[in-house]
Amino acid sequence: MIRIFGYSLEKKPTTSPIMEFVAVLIALLIAFGVSALLIASAGANVAEAFRSLLRGSFGSRSAIAETIIQGTPLILTGLAVTVAFRGQLWNIGAEGQFFAGAMASYLVATSLPELSRVPMVLTIFLAALIAGGVLGAIPAILKVRFGASEVIVTVMLNFVVLFFLSYLLSGPWQDPMSAFLQTSRITETARVSRIITGTRIHIGIIIALISVVVVWFLLFKTTLGYEIRAYGINPIASKYKGIPPLRTIVLTLAISGAIAALAGAGEVVGLHGRLRLDISTGFGFTGIIVALLGRLHPFLVVAAALFMGALWNGSLAMQITTGVPIALAYVIRGVVLVALLAAETLTHYRIRRVCDE
Amino acid sequence: MNNFFQTTIIVGLFASTIRIATPFLFASIGELVTERSGVLNLGIEGILQIGALVGFLITFRTGSHWLGVFGAGFSGIVLGIFMGWMVTTLKLNQTVSGLALNLLAGGIAFYWFRVVFADVGAENLPNLRIFQTARFPILSDIPYIGTIFFRQQWLTYLAFLSVPVVSYFLYRTRVGLQLRCTGENPRAVDMKGLSVAKHQYGALAFGGFMAGVGGSFLTLASSGMFIPEIQAGRGWIAIALVIFGNWIPWRILVVALFFGLIEAVQLTLQALNANVPHQLLLALPYLLTIIALCTAAGRSRSPLHLGLPYKRE
Amino acid sequence: MTGLPDHARPILQPILQVENLTKRFPSVLALDNVSMDVKRGEIHCLLGENGAGKSTLSETIYGTYLPDSGKIFFRGAPVEIMSPKDAIAAGISIVHQHFVLVPPLTVLENVILGTQKSGLYMDLKYARERLNELSRNYGVALNLDARVWHLSVGEQQWVEIFKALYIGVDLLILDEPTAVLTPQQSERLFSVIKQMRDEGLAIIFITHKLKEVKAVSDRVTVLRKGKKIATVNTKDVSKQELANMMVGRDVVFTIERQDMPPGEVVFEANNLRALNFHGEEGLRGVSFDVREKEVLGLAGVSGNGQKLLFDVIVGQEKPTEGSLKLAGRDITNTTTSKRMKLGLSSIPEDRIKEGLVMDFMVEENLILGFQRREPFAKGKTLVNQKAIRKFSKKSIEDFDIATPSSKQISKKLSGGNLQKLILAREFSQETKFLIAGQPTRGLDVGSTEYVRRRILEQKRKGAGVLLISEDLDEILNLSDRIAVIFKGELMDIIDVNEADIEQLGLLMAGIQKGEEV
Repeated sequence: MIRIFGYSLEKKPTTSPIMEFVAVLIALLIAFGVSALLIASAGANVAEAFRSLLRGSFGSRSAIAETIIQGTPLILTGLAVTVAFRGQLWNIGAEGQFFAGAMASYLVATSLPELSRVPMVLTIFLAALIAGGVLGAIPAILKVRFGASEVIVTVMLNFVVLFFLSYLLSGPWQDPMSAFLQTSRITETARVSRIITGTRIHIGIIIALISVVVVWFLLFKTTLGYEIRAYGINPIASKYKGIPPLRTIVLTLAISGAIAALAGAGEVVGLHGRLRLDISTGFGFTGIIVALLGRLHPFLVVAAALFMGALWNGSLAMQITTGVPIALAYVIRGVVLVALLAAETLTHYRIRRVCDE
Repeated sequence: MNNFFQTTIIVGLFASTIRIATPFLFASIGELVTERSGVLNLGIEGILQIGALVGFLITFRTGSHWLGVFGAGFSGIVLGIFMGWMVTTLKLNQTVSGLALNLLAGGIAFYWFRVVFADVGAENLPNLRIFQTARFPILSDIPYIGTIFFRQQWLTYLAFLSVPVVSYFLYRTRVGLQLRCTGENPRAVDMKGLSVAKHQYGALAFGGFMAGVGGSFLTLASSGMFIPEIQAGRGWIAIALVIFGNWIPWRILVVALFFGLIEAVQLTLQALNANVPHQLLLALPYLLTIIALCTAAGRSRSPLHLGLPYKRE
Repeated sequence: MTGLPDHARPILQPILQVENLTKRFPSVLALDNVSMDVKRGEIHCLLGENGAGKSTLSETIYGTYLPDSGKIFFRGAPVEIMSPKDAIAAGISIVHQHFVLVPPLTVLENVILGTQKSGLYMDLKYARERLNELSRNYGVALNLDARVWHLSVGEQQWVEIFKALYIGVDLLILDEPTAVLTPQQSERLFSVIKQMRDEGLAIIFITHKLKEVKAVSDRVTVLRKGKKIATVNTKDVSKQELANMMVGRDVVFTIERQDMPPGEVVFEANNLRALNFHGEEGLRGVSFDVREKEVLGLAGVSGNGQKLLFDVIVGQEKPTEGSLKLAGRDITNTTTSKRMKLGLSSIPEDRIKEGLVMDFMVEENLILGFQRREPFAKGKTLVNQKAIRKFSKKSIEDFDIATPSSKQISKKLSGGNLQKLILAREFSQETKFLIAGQPTRGLDVGSTEYVRRRILEQKRKGAGVLLISEDLDEILNLSDRIAVIFKGELMDIIDVNEADIEQLGLLMAGIQKGEEV
């Protein structure tokens, strides 16, 4: 407790939704200020940089479309992290799970070329779900069985998946016509891109929005969701009341992994049509910020994902017009998260007058 | 001839084991002290990267390697204290804070690097002359032994020296006792009129310093250049090593050497053009970390209050 | 060092004076304008029921909390105690009710923590000498190199007291020090603190037990709901008067236990063995049975295997040997939820950590563990909000849970209401066997009475009850038979009508009937 001139700062037992909103606002303002400083320190004109950032993210129909495209995988990775964090399971492996989904899509598209479009696409997303689910279940099982920290295991699995992918891309799956680390294009029947004419908006956004509703329903309307949330807040009491840890942890992380994998499949099927190492701009990690910025609530995750998508596209535009490196987007990403966490605690306090000393 | 070839390989293997273990040792001995104070700093990965960059930039500008090392250590202290602000002052969730620190530090390193080397293409990235290795009269010239033990980097000797020093500090000194108590039961420390926050800030600053220096080893004593993500998961592995080493300094030394050996073997196999795709070899340390975690968790004991914020009520 | 007779002790000036101390917590006014003083060479009891403000007062004197207003004088001069550091510097020390020891460290390390202000090395030699001197003086033997978690709770208490004495104090505060002791160990403690008093120490002794007030204190200050009721000379008041001051009404409550013929055996434990947290055998062949319409009280000093037994019975720990039977079925290898379905209800010792999800709404907590059962779930997978709401409204009414709505976040409820919430949940199913761990610990008189009544009601309805408690009065008031546990073994099981406190105390210390003390 801090006390100055007869006033004390003390913790409130709970916080109101309005204050939570204020916290997000404060966080964004801080991020705004820090990025202005960084832009200036890079020798660019701050006002111009922000103008191009805004133009690049929302300035035109195509900019908005690109923001949605960039936000699409972030909705899914954000949801994946949301499910896991709700259960106090720190899934840092969404990046690897994203690629697991992408690899599963490519595998299905190339090994079952005779399928027609609808079964093909359904099989692809099903395969992605399974791949992500399995990859998510591994740290869960290791946690329950051996007590291995899921944080470290999921991070390690990211590396393993990426090395495995780069092995595939440099050998067995490499496009024979190309010198790059990439596969050849997948068959046309496995692609659902440009669902809105004049834009590159693709099937991913539909998958993402369906997933939002599904995750909301899962968390708040099903007994499993109840158990995930109970376990997340107090695993000990949950165990004492018969909620089985193994089932809960495995399902939570498998669901989380499966959702992240959908993002990977969406990018392959809807956007790139092939597998490369750079089809993710760190979606898995940005998903952590999306989830926290979205207060671990599925609907708010959508807004947070679009915001982060806009940030990326805006930064891209800014790089072109002002020369400020796009890496700025990564800094802002980090600043938003830290500022959000800090602002959040501050809204937990109130100032109260106490008697004279 | 063949025999000579084999001996050279084996001597090289052990020499590189010690070299590779160095950044692990810096990071994990630092993390050990931090965790003994009850704080789980998951931001080590980010601090390594910042340390690598800061060390590189300072040395690049000034030409002084040691200035680079100290700058890297100082940047680590700053980040450690920043972590302290989040987890000790604001009492934020330590896992989330650590992740935030990683993302922030990674972003800063990437951005800074791009701003400084804006006009440089990937193939023209600057390269530094790395630290001169140590030379000892007579010792360095002993066949085999000299190559393995007495022609290492000065930083490597520092890293190994930190093991007995930290061990002595934790178990024999007054402040070491207070630090251990902070990690086991901070209330006991608080009720004795000692500051929990001061101990945790101090431990985080030390852990940050060690990780910063460890990061600078990567650029100044190993590769001579900086590329984003140069630390490649070493921070995370360092955290796993602390668990694997059961929070005991000399055991951490053993497991760090073990990891160094595995990486050295992998490098040797790569150099020998073994018939294994090198990406799969590269994945080995990460898989091994997972296995190590699984075997360690059951038989190791973490500080009782590790990862939990301390509040007085 | 023998004590001087009462009349021979000099009249002493107060060493500590507290004036108009007020302390408010977010939800409660814990201290309301409290004034008191403590003299050198006196044992001053702070008497009050749970929640009266005794601990808050002592923690404020020690600097753990800052008062909102009021003054503290020490040795006649005003002092600003901003933190424990200031209190220690002034010569005040405290033995907390919940020990603040560092279990993995040795006794010596625990004692010297924070006592040395400068220097790199620890001066262990000096510490050893000083501690051995203290041991000799008070006739208490402690192995300085033992790790604290190896010690019994009674021994740990001595470590706490030595921690306080080691730094040299003028005022020692003991917060409910007998809560974890057998009656005989309490006697021993009393004689030691009387010796300290005679050596000139001022002692504040916090308790809610009237007979302890009478047994040790020179003066007593009674607190009720944060207010000071009175300070009186102990020999001038009767227990009844003290009780009235403490509770604020005339009768001190005792529960009417009803003798009724027990029914079939509903729960059986056979030769249970299990390993504790440290990998040592914490249960060493425990066997007992509980019948319908019967309360079996489990008495014992805390840390003798009660918690492990609770965990084994509810299915959170696996026994290494032995078997469990519930309602005629072997449940040794079944899951917790299966046991619950067979009619096991449980009230965990630590309700906040083990019984509730504090960030959940009241209605969500009311179905914890029952979330997959009808009517709370539709076909096991979907939540039936309507049924939950209905049940929640009924429970809040039936169990008199003070909450503005069923959507209230649980952590805003008081301790008594949280316990009622747990009772409402556990008794929502037909309870065949109830295991209750310290069900009234930390509750005020009203809630305590309520909880006990509800437990006896389950007995009347036909449940068998295993009541684990460290409060011997509670055990004697509620149980039909009493089992005593010591170091993971049952010393004896006796009928309540044949039990007396003296004998139970000996059993709790591991001494069989007829054995030499």
